[in-house]
Amino acid sequence: MNTTLIIIIAAAVLLFLIFMGMYNNLIRKRNEVDNAFGGMDVQLKKRYDLIPNIVATVKQYATHEKELLTKVTEMRAKATSGNISNEEKVALDNQISAGMKSIMVAVENYPDLKANENFMNLQRTLNEVESQISAARRTYNAVITDYNNAIQTFPSNIMAGMMSLKRKEVFVIPETERQNVDVKNLFN
Amino acid sequence: MIKKEELQSLYNNELKDKLAGLEVLRKSVAKRTLGGIALIALPIIIGIAVFVYLDSNNSVSMDGLVKVLPFIVIALVITGIVLLILNIKKKKEYRRRYKNEVVSEVVRAIDSEWNYAPEDCISQSEYYSSDLFRKNFDRYKGDDLISGTIEKTDFRCSELHTEYKEVTHDKDGKRQEHWVTIFKGLFFHADFNKEIRANTYIEPDTAEKLLGKFGQKFQMSSKGKLVKLENIEFEKIFAVFSTDQTEARYILTPAIMEALVNIYKQYKRRMHLSFIGSRVYVAMSFKKDLFEPKIFSSGVKYEDVEFMYNLFMVNATIIHELNLNTRIWTKE
Repeated sequence: MNTTLIIIIAAAVLLFLIFMGMYNNLIRKRNEVDNAFGGMDVQLKKRYDLIPNIVATVKQYATHEKELLTKVTEMRAKATSGNISNEEKVALDNQISAGMKSIMVAVENYPDLKANENFMNLQRTLNEVESQISAARRTYNAVITDYNNAIQTFPSNIMAGMMSLKRKEVFVIPETERQNVDVKNLFN
Repeated sequence: MIKKEELQSLYNNELKDKLAGLEVLRKSVAKRTLGGIALIALPIIIGIAVFVYLDSNNSVSMDGLVKVLPFIVIALVITGIVLLILNIKKKKEYRRRYKNEVVSEVVRAIDSEWNYAPEDCISQSEYYSSDLFRKNFDRYKGDDLISGTIEKTDFRCSELHTEYKEVTHDKDGKRQEHWVTIFKGLFFHADFNKEIRANTYIEPDTAEKLLGKFGQKFQMSSKGKLVKLENIEFEKIFAVFSTDQTEARYILTPAIMEALVNIYKQYKRRMHLSFIGSRVYVAMSFKKDLFEPKIFSSGVKYEDVEFMYNLFMVNATIIHELNLNTRIWTKE
C-alpha cells in the first residue's frame, strides 16, 4: 500500500467523523427544541387546568364580566381540543395570556372577590404558572437560537441543508401584549 | 433599619467615645507587640554583629564577653517571647471588647431583632448543603454570625474561611506543606420565595470575560448544564449551571438578573450563588479579615464603622434586590 492511499483513506475517515459529529450535533439540537416545546406544553396545560377554577370563582362575584369569562373559557376549550397546529397553539396561547390578565385587572373592581381566600390561592397558583410559562418560553427561545445558529453557520449549514432542517421562529410578544391592556377593546 | 446619615450621628454620639475608650487598650497591645518583637530581633542582630566583629579582629581581651554574650541574647529573647505570649491574652480582650461594644452596636442599630454571635459561624452542614465549593476542606473557621429576619425572609450570615492542605516536594524531595484557600469572605443564606426542585448555580464567569462569546465553549461544570441567558451584562459577569434549564430561568427572571448585576456592581466582589432546596446561598469573596479591630492604627475611624455597616447591609441588599419578600407565588 502506498502512502497516497493511506492519506486518502485517513482523510476519508476524518471527513466521515466530522460529518458524523455535525449530524449528531444537529439531531441533538433538534431534539432539544422538541423537548423545550414539550416543557412549555406541560406548563400551558397547568394553566388550562387552572382556568375553569378561576372562571368559576370569579363568576360568583363579578357578574359584569360574563363576556370576558366566556371568551376565555371558549379559547381554553379550543386550545385543549387537540387538533390544532403548534403555530395556532402559540397564537391562541398569547390570547389566553391576555385574557387572564384582563380578568385579573377586572377583579380589582370587586373587593369581596379579592379578599376571598380561595381566589387568593388561585391567584398565587396563576402567578406561579405564569412564571413557569415565561421561564419555559425563554428556555424554548434559547434552545431555538442555538438550533438556528447551528443550521445557519458554516460548516454545519451544509449538513443541515442535506438534512433539510429549516429555521424555526422564536417566541415574540404579540403587539397586543406590548401595549397596555385595554380590557374593553381586547376582544372586539 | 438605620440609614447612612443616621449611622454618622450614631458614630458621633456613641461609637466614637467607645472606640476612644478602647484606644488605651489598643495602644498597650501595640506597644507590647512591638516591644516583644524588638526584644527578640534586636539582641539576635546585635549579638551576631558583635560576634562577627570580634571574630574578624581576633581580640583575646574580649574573651570573657564572648562567653557571656550568648546567655544575654538568650535571656532577652526569652523575655521577648514571654511578653508576646502574655500579650495574646490582652489582644483577645481587646478583640472581644471591640466586637461586643462596637460591632454588636452597629448590628443592633441596623436591626435590634438581629442576633449577633461574635464567635459563631455558619455550620459545616450549612456549608455542605450550599454545594458551592465541592473541594474537601482540611481547615474550617469563621466568626461573626448574624441571623434574623427581614420582613418574611429569614437569613443567616457569617464570615467564613475554608482551606485545604497541599503537600508538595521540592527538588531535594523535602516535604512542604501549605494551606490553600477554598473560600474566604462572607457566606450568606436566606429563605427563597419560590419552590425549587433542581439545583441551580451561579459562578463568576472567567472564560467569557476573557474570551467573549467564544469563551462560552469553555464553560463547563460538574454541577450541571450551562444555561445561556438573555441579559448580556449578566452573562459577562456570571456563568449559570443548572440541573434544570427551565427552572433556572424560573428563578433567574430578567428582574433577578438585573438585581444580581446591581449587587455585583455595588460590592465588586467575586460571587458564588446557589439555589437549592428552599434556600438561596451567596458566597462573597473578600481577601481581608472582616469585622476585626486594627492593632497598629487608630480604631477611632468613621470609615471602619461605615465599612462594617456596608457589609452587614449585604444581607438586606440581597433580600431586597432579589425581592425575596415578595410572596405572590405558591410558597408562602
